[in-house]
Amino acid sequence: MSPEGQLRSVKPVPLSNLYTIILALAFGVVLATAVFVAYKCYFDYGTLFKIP
Amino acid sequence: MSNLTKTLIVLLTISSIFLCGIVVTYVANADNYRQKYDNLRKDRDALNQAKDSLTKQLNEKIQQKDDIEKSLSNDIASLKSKAGDLQTTLSNVEREKAELLERVNSWASITKDFSATTEKQTQTLNAALEDVKQLKAEQIKLSQELDQTSATLVEKTAIIETVAAEKKRLIEEKADLESRLDKLLQAGGKVAAASSPVTPEKGTALPAQPIGSPISLKGLVSQVDAKNSLATISIGSADGVKEGMKFHVTRGDEFICDILIVNVDTEKAVGVLELVQQPLKVGDNAATNL
Repeated sequence: MSPEGQLRSVKPVPLSNLYTIILALAFGVVLATAVFVAYKCYFDYGTLFKIP
Repeated sequence: MSNLTKTLIVLLTISSIFLCGIVVTYVANADNYRQKYDNLRKDRDALNQAKDSLTKQLNEKIQQKDDIEKSLSNDIASLKSKAGDLQTTLSNVEREKAELLERVNSWASITKDFSATTEKQTQTLNAALEDVKQLKAEQIKLSQELDQTSATLVEKTAIIETVAAEKKRLIEEKADLESRLDKLLQAGGKVAAASSPVTPEKGTALPAQPIGSPISLKGLVSQVDAKNSLATISIGSADGVKEGMKFHVTRGDEFICDILIVNVDTEKAVGVLELVQQPLKVGDNAATNL
């Protein structure tokens, strides 16, 4: 792929937020999981990191 | 954005969702170990309390057991002493029982001997009564004979007295006649010859013959007339029976009566019943001597 071709073929492509949304979804899932685990640890054992 | 990046984003997202799902599922389903620990701790505390209470109860029970053992030991000791006393009493009672049994046996033997003695005495008494009965019969017969002998003796005495009076009278007549004869002969100068009695003098009197028939005659009663007290015997003058004879009637060893013969035929004789002890029957023995 030559720069000329690139230049020639470069045309404005609208940014797709699909993968951003997917990443955000993955982040949200991980975050929700971390919150859920923290919630369970705190309310079951009374602490997050110390072994009771 | 390259395709690789996109692919990595998608894979990262998928793996994140998958792993987060696994973690959430695990955490959601995980056991609450703290709660389990608390429960176990509570259970342990409860068990410790139960253990303490049970230990106390055990100690109390042990104490009660010791008390009961002491009381039972005392009871056993008292019961052993009572058992010893009862054993002594039992031995005494058994000894008394043996003595009583010996006394019972001795009394039984004495009673048995007494019964045997009583039976022998009863037999002896019966024999004596039988002898007395026979002796009474003999006594009656002898008294009857004595009465007859006495009557005969009185009669003979009267005869002797009569004869003596006659003899005296004859002697007086003889003396008178001799005196008159002497006077007549002296007047004529003659002497009377010595007189000689026509009847020779008898010798010294002999003892009387024993009472009873000199001969022994035996016969049977052939007829009985109880209404007139008469009986017929099976022997007569051909056998030597004479009037006035007395036959004694017996049946076995029993005396029945006497028969005084009043009429004699050749083959039979009739007599009057005397001293009747029992009813006379045909076939009874009649004999002059018992």
